[in-house]
This record gives sequence, C-alpha cells and structure tokens, in this order.
Amino acid sequence: MFLFTARFSLTASETETFSDGLSVERKRVKPILMASNSDMGSADFESLSSTSDVELLKRAWRNEKAAPEILPYEGDLVERAKGQIELVEGNIEDYVENGMDPLVVSLYQMDLDRTQFLLRSYLRVRLLKIEKFMFHTLKSEEAESRLSEQEKVFATKCVADLAKHFEESVLIKLRESYRSVLKQSLISEEDDMVPEPHLDTFVVSRSNSHVTLNLYEEGESHQIVEMYRGDVYFIRYKVAKGAIESGKVDLI
Amino acid sequence: MMYGRKGYQLVKDFASGEKGLLKPFNSKLFDETIEECEQNHGLIQSLITKMQQEGLDVQNNRNADHYGALVHHLSLTRNKRCLMAYVHNRAEIVRDLAWRVGLVLLELPPDIQEKLTALEKDYFKNHSKAIKSYMGKLGIELNVDMVPPKDPYIKIRVVGDIDQGIMMSDKTTNFTRHSMHFLKRTDAEPYIARNQLTYPPCLIGGKI
Amino acid sequence: MAGQTDPHISLFSPEEVEFMGEDELVEIVPNMNMEPLNFIAGDFGRFVPQIPTQVPLWLAVALKRRGKCTFRPPQWLSVDNLTQILEAEREPQSKFQPLPFSYVEIARLLFDHARDDIPDMYMVRSLVEDIRDVRLHKLENNLGSFQGTSAVKMDNVSAMEVNLVRPFARRALEAFYKHDKPEADTADRDTRSSRQPREANNEPRRPLRQR
Repeated sequence: MFLFTARFSLTASETETFSDGLSVERKRVKPILMASNSDMGSADFESLSSTSDVELLKRAWRNEKAAPEILPYEGDLVERAKGQIELVEGNIEDYVENGMDPLVVSLYQMDLDRTQFLLRSYLRVRLLKIEKFMFHTLKSEEAESRLSEQEKVFATKCVADLAKHFEESVLIKLRESYRSVLKQSLISEEDDMVPEPHLDTFVVSRSNSHVTLNLYEEGESHQIVEMYRGDVYFIRYKVAKGAIESGKVDLI
Repeated sequence: MMYGRKGYQLVKDFASGEKGLLKPFNSKLFDETIEECEQNHGLIQSLITKMQQEGLDVQNNRNADHYGALVHHLSLTRNKRCLMAYVHNRAEIVRDLAWRVGLVLLELPPDIQEKLTALEKDYFKNHSKAIKSYMGKLGIELNVDMVPPKDPYIKIRVVGDIDQGIMMSDKTTNFTRHSMHFLKRTDAEPYIARNQLTYPPCLIGGKI
Repeated sequence: MAGQTDPHISLFSPEEVEFMGEDELVEIVPNMNMEPLNFIAGDFGRFVPQIPTQVPLWLAVALKRRGKCTFRPPQWLSVDNLTQILEAEREPQSKFQPLPFSYVEIARLLFDHARDDIPDMYMVRSLVEDIRDVRLHKLENNLGSFQGTSAVKMDNVSAMEVNLVRPFARRALEAFYKHDKPEADTADRDTRSSRQPREANNEPRRPLRQR
C-alpha cells in the first residue's frame, strides 16, 4: 500500500543575499512529497500532504505517551528527524560564522530545540516502557516485534540485569522450588509474576477519519461506536488499538 | 509465626516512604521475611512427611494436613511476592535516578548513595551501561532535554550596578540602570544570580 | 532541577500541554522585512511589513519578543465572542461551546507577550478565566456520567480539560468496567498487585464526588 510521507531533500547549496548585504551559502531544507512503502500508519492523504516530520514526531510521541503498551517503532521517521537535526545544526554554525543576526539565528535554534525535544522524548518514553514491562516485552512476540534492533538489545540487557539483581537479592535466599524469577513457585503453570500493561485502561482518542469500533469483545453484547473526524472519546485502549496503529485515531 | 505478616510489613514500610524517594534498605524486615519463608517451608515439609508416614497419596489426598501445607505454601509465595515487590520497586527508583540525576554512580549525591545496598549499586551501574550503550548506538543523548524548550532569549531589567560595555556572547551591551534588555538566558544568568539583573514584573505574573 | 518532567509515561505536564499548543497557527503582522524561515517544522514567510501571515504560536511569540511583529488576535478572542460563549456555557444542561482545542494556552501566551495587541485585554482575560471555570465545573459535575458506559464522547473539549480530567475519568470508567464484566479475573489482579509499582500514587488524591 502506497502512503505519502513528507520527505526532505537537499537542493544544491545556494547563495542567498540578505538585506544587509551579507551573502551566506547555505543548504536549503525543503519538504517535498514522495510516495513510499514505509510501514507507518496510514492516514488520509490530505492530512499527510501538509504534515511535517515535526508534526509526525509530535503525533508519535503523544500516542506513545498515552498508550499503555509499546507501539510499533517509527524507524523511518526517527532516521529522517535525525538527518534534519544534523543538517540544521550545521546550518546554524554557518549562520553564526557568517554573521547572521543572532536574534534570527536563535529562531532557527528554537525550531531545532523543539524537534530535538520531540525526538528525545519519543525515544525516551519507549525505553521507559520497555523498562517497566521488560519481562513481558521479551515474552510477547507482538511486543518484541514492535521494538527496533537497538531497543531489543536494550530490553535483553535490562532483563539480564534485573533477573541477576532478583537472584542475588532474594531468590538465592529461598528454597529451590521458589527460585524462579517469573514464577511464584514450581507449581505455577505459567509465569505468574510478570507485570503486563493494562490494555483495558481508558485513553482519550481523537479521530482523523470516520471509523467504527466494536465496544465489546466477541461474544458479548454487541455495541458499536461511530467516530467521525475530529470526535474526541474516552474509550478503552483495547477497543481503539487497531485504529491507533492504522492512523485512524490519535491519542491525546 | 504469622502467615505473610513480615512480607506485609516490608511492603508497608516501602509504601510509607515518599514516592520516588529511597529509604535505607530495611535489612531487618527483609531478613525476617526470609526467615518466615523458611518456617513456612519447614512446616510444609513436616506435613508432607506426616502424610507420607500415614501412607497417604500426597499428590491427591485432600485432608486437613494437605490444606495446612497449602496454606503454608500460599503464605510463602505471598512473602516471596512481597520480597520481589520490595526489591523491584526500589530497582525502579534506582533506574529513575540514573535517568534523572546522572549515569555515574559516584556523581550521585552522597545521601542517596548511602541508601543503596551494594547489590543496588551494581544494578545501577549495569543499568547505566544499558542506557549509555543505547544512546551511543543511536548517537542521541536521551537523558537531557527533559522539559520542553523555551526561548533562549529573555527580557531582563538592570537593577544593580554593572560596568558599562559588558561583552555578551552575541553583542556588546551598555547596562544603564533600569534599562531593559533582551539577552540570551545563559549570558544573563550569572548577573541574575548576583541580583544585578532581574525579570521585569509582569502584570499578569506569567512565566518568562 | 525544579520543574523537570515527571518521567511517568502516561500524563502530560502543563509545560508539555503548552508546548503542543504552541504549534497552533496564529496571524501576525510583520513590521519589517525578513527572509523566509526554512524550518524543520515548515517554511514560513517571507515577512513583509503590514502583510499578515500565519505562523505557529511559538514563532509568533518569539518574533513579537524580538520586536519584529504584532499579533492579529484570533477572531474567537474578542469581548463579543467570549461574552456570547460565556452566556452559552452558563446555560444549565448545556454542552461545551466550540473553542479551539488549545484555547487556554493560546490565550495565556497572548496575554503574557502581546497584551497591547488585544483590544480590551483585561476584559478578554477575565472572560477567558470565567469560561475556564464554568467549563471545569461542568466537567466535575459530569464526572458521574462517566459511569455506566464504556465510551464517552466529549464534544468541544480542550487540551487542558482533557489532561485535568483524565485520571478521574479513567478511574470512574475503570471502576465501572470492572463491575460490568463479571468474569474480570480478580485473582489475577491480586497476584500482580503486590508486584506492580503503585500507579495510583501518580494521580492527584481528590476523591471522586457524585453531585
């Protein structure tokens, strides 16, 4: 499925002359549209066509903060944002060197700071979620599949470190049958000491397009809710989960 | 011996602290909880032995001794959960310290360091390594920028006596008394700290 | 450092709510010529004296502070409009009136940095505060309606209100949901309860009162 995403490309370096006569050579950053196969959530073409990476980052961060479980990793977006940030950092150095009005340079700095804050917060929120549910994340195929390669390495190390900590602080002091990190005892049929995200928690969703959701699970009372573009609902995360991943609703 | 009492006390001890702040590790209660587990275990063993001596099928027989052993087992597992919760919740705070205070153990404030056990210090070091490794691979620092960014420039007013013609990072400025300026926050901070510059009173009392 | 964002991962701090509100587009009137600004967030300008142009609120405030523009206050931020809205909000049984999602943040930033660009600023500010209060009261009173359903539609709610009411509504809805579903695995919750960090501690401790 082709999705349109905002992509940034470099035009050739240009020389710009400012009203005070200063000539500065700089690399222009320009958003253009490109079709791509990236597996970001789909959304209407209309809203994406005017969507900057900053807006996409903000959405990704907001969704991640509000969702009880970890969401699919927006790898392409992270890479693009990193590229943008590095580019602008270079530009700003040039501007300063070339004597651009410091007040204007500071505007570029603010745009950069805002983007960096979003990128860092997005990545950080994800790591915190991995820390919080580290055992579950590696046990669940679905959760693990949502991690980037580096996040998988991080999760694996988290689990090893905490398991070791449990073993040395507590488990070694208990009797054999009670030494499992994940099970209360050998009698447990499953891993019954693994904290899991509460998917039944209520979240606030805002629809990007028309979507119909089933309020209850299969076999229970059949009740649907029809959400139109812009509608805000308090709703169970589990109900909205699919719509979030496909970009039809955002969490706010 | 009380069933699960020590574990309960241990968890209560943790909960009585201020959220997010570490109290010293309560070794006394911790060890007593372990001891209670040992007692439970001993009694389970003796009840099983008794059933075996009576020629009963231990796996399937449901007599008073079976239920007695079950109660001990459940008390034991409850205590285990409390012990794990205690260590787990403290470990969470240790991770939070790494994120918010610093990734180097010896740079943590001494009053925090002394509340960590040796094992917790090891855990801190290991977790810091994990975070540093991730940040290194991505080439992005993640333990900075914890609050949304603000304008690097702020409005200030001169209140004290400052030498004329101070060089700021972007221009040279004359600081006549009562004059207002628009300066980089980082340039202004030392003067603000010395009460030579101040934020002009805002009629609404809003933020800068 | 004072004011650090709580790393709790499911609530937004007031600073974060304001940060998101700062992306709203507002209209400014430049008072000098300036080259277009080629940001990661988008392209803005050229800036030509007297020609109004739209920029994000954070940029508008920055330009204003640098003496490069004045604000054209949004249409909704007028005495006439806000008076109407306040009256409508005060009607018993009324729903929320249409206001921009980030109206609180937009208004606050304009009052702080562009007070001279808003006609009758004190009146306008007072109206905004009154509207905020009436709406918060309405929210409190309607928290009862959060029980008995598993999805609640909120028309014309604002960012600040969503963030404020989130923990209360969540608890009310979750309490309802637990009772609504008889097969909720209470044993399962007990097993995890002593293991889980105490999430409830992150939320303000005001009791949920029925009116």
